[in-house]
Amino acid sequence: MKKYLSVFKISFAQEFAYRLSFIMWRVRNVMQIVLVFFLWDSVFMGPQPIIFGYDKAKIITYVFGLIIVRAFVLSARAQDVAGEIQRGEIVNLLLKPVSYFKYWITRDLSSKALNLLFAVLEWTILYLVLRPEFFFQKDPLFLGGFILLVVLAMFIFFVLIFLVSALTFWMPEAGWGMQFLIIVVAVEFLSGGLFPLDILPVAIQKILYLSPFPYLIFFPLQAYLGKISGVVLLKSIAVSFFWAFALWLLMRSVWYRGLKVYNPPGK
Amino acid sequence: MKRPLYYLKIWWLMSKNSFMTWLAQKMLLLIFLTAKIMRFAFFAGFVYFISKGAKSLAGYNAPQVIFFFLTFNIIDIFSQFLFREVYRFRPLIISGDFDLILTKPYSSLFRSLMGGADLIDLITVPPLIFAVIYVGALLDPSRLQIVLYLLLLINGFLIATAFHISVLALAIITLEIDHLVMIYRDLTNLGRFPIDIYKEPLRGILTYLLPIGMMVSVPAKALMGLMSLKGIAVSFAVGIVLIVMSVKFWHFALTKYSSASS
Repeated sequence: MKKYLSVFKISFAQEFAYRLSFIMWRVRNVMQIVLVFFLWDSVFMGPQPIIFGYDKAKIITYVFGLIIVRAFVLSARAQDVAGEIQRGEIVNLLLKPVSYFKYWITRDLSSKALNLLFAVLEWTILYLVLRPEFFFQKDPLFLGGFILLVVLAMFIFFVLIFLVSALTFWMPEAGWGMQFLIIVVAVEFLSGGLFPLDILPVAIQKILYLSPFPYLIFFPLQAYLGKISGVVLLKSIAVSFFWAFALWLLMRSVWYRGLKVYNPPGK
Repeated sequence: MKRPLYYLKIWWLMSKNSFMTWLAQKMLLLIFLTAKIMRFAFFAGFVYFISKGAKSLAGYNAPQVIFFFLTFNIIDIFSQFLFREVYRFRPLIISGDFDLILTKPYSSLFRSLMGGADLIDLITVPPLIFAVIYVGALLDPSRLQIVLYLLLLINGFLIATAFHISVLALAIITLEIDHLVMIYRDLTNLGRFPIDIYKEPLRGILTYLLPIGMMVSVPAKALMGLMSLKGIAVSFAVGIVLIVMSVKFWHFALTKYSSASS
C-alpha cells in the first residue's frame, strides 16, 4: 500500500511539471462546456419550456454536471499505456515488484484527484459568471445511485483503456490510432459527454444502450437528475456492473494473450 | 513568396512524401479516416437533431444551422489539410531540429506551416464540398451572395492561416505549452454554431478580439443575405491586417529563437 501511495504522490507532482500545459488543458475543457452551455441556453430562448424531455434547469445541470463527471471518469493517465507498449517501456514496470494494473489505477486516481480540484474551481467560476438555473438533487436515493454509477463508470473507463491499449501488442503502429478512435471519438460522443443521448431518435438510443459507453457519463447524470428511478435505476446499475465485470474478464484475457506474443522493442 | 512555382514544387514534393508515409501504414490510415468520419457524422447528427428539435436556434432554422456547421468544417478541414505540419512543430523547437530548417534555401515559415499536407483531410474534402453545395442550395442564394460567400470563405481561410502562423510563433517564444494548436482548435470550435448564440461580452470577443465569427459565421451569413456591406468590408480588412500582423509576429519570434541542439 505504501508503494502505491508513493506512486500517487509522484504522479500528482508530475502533473505539475508542465503547469501551464495542464492549466491550458483545463481551459480547453471549459471552452467546450461554454459552447454547450450557450447552445442549450439558445435552444431554450424559444417559447417551448420543455425540449427533448428536459426543462432549462435540468439541461443546464447536465452541462455543468459534465464538468464534474468528466473529471471523475475521463481523467486517466492510463492512456499512456499504449505508448509504453509501443516503445517497449512497459518491460521496466513488469520487472518491478508492483502490480501493473494497480500502478495505473493509482496514477489514474492521482490524475482524477487533481482534475477534480480544478473541475470544482471551474464549476464555481462558471456558476458565478453565468448564473444559470440549476437543479440541485436532494433525494439521497438518486444521489446514492449517481455516486455508485460514477464509481462503476471510472472502472469501466479504466478497463476500456487497457482493452484498447492491449491491441498495441499485435499492432504496435496502430496503438495511438485505436485510442483516438475508441477513447477519444467514440467515448466523447457515445457516452453523452457532449449532449444527453436521449435527444437522439429512440431506435438509435436502443442500439447505444447495448454498448458500455452510455454508462460512462449519460446514466450517472440521468440518475443525478432523477430522470431514471426505481427499476430503471436498478437496471442501469446492474448493467454497469455487468459491463465492468465482462470488460474486466475480456481485458485480462486479451492482455495476457498480448503479453505472450509481445516482442518489446529494445533500446 | 517571390517564386511561386519554386514553392509549389517544394510543396508538392513534401506533400507527396507525407502521402506516401500514410499509404505505407494503410491500417493506421483506415483507423484515422474512420475516426474522422465518425466524429463528423456524430457532430452533424447532433446539430441536425438539436436544430430540428429546437425549431429555431438564435433565429436560424435547421438548414441554416447546418450550413454554419458545414462552413466551419470546410475552413477547419482545409486548414488541417494544408497546415498539418503545425501540429509537429513543437518537437522541432525542443530538439533543436528547427536549425536544419533555418539553413535550407526556402522560407522557414513556409516549411513550418505547409511542410506536409494531410492525406486523411484531403479524402474528406470532396464529400464536404458536396454537402456545402447541397445544403447551400436549400437556402436559395443569389449569384452575388454565392460570390460573396466564396470570397469571405477565402478571407476566413486567411484568418485561419494567421492563427496558425501565430501558433508557430508562440511555440518558438514559449516552450511551456505543448498543445497550443489544440487550444486554437478549441477556440475555433466555438464557431461551429452561429456566433449569435453567445451572449455579450463573449459574442463581441469572438467577433472582434478573436475573430472566429468573421472566420466562420460571416461567410455563412453572407450566403444567407444577412450581412451588410460595411460588415463585409470590415471582415476583409480584419483578414488582411491579421495575416500581415501574424507574419510580422513570426519574424519577431525568430529573433527570440535559441537553438536547443548540442
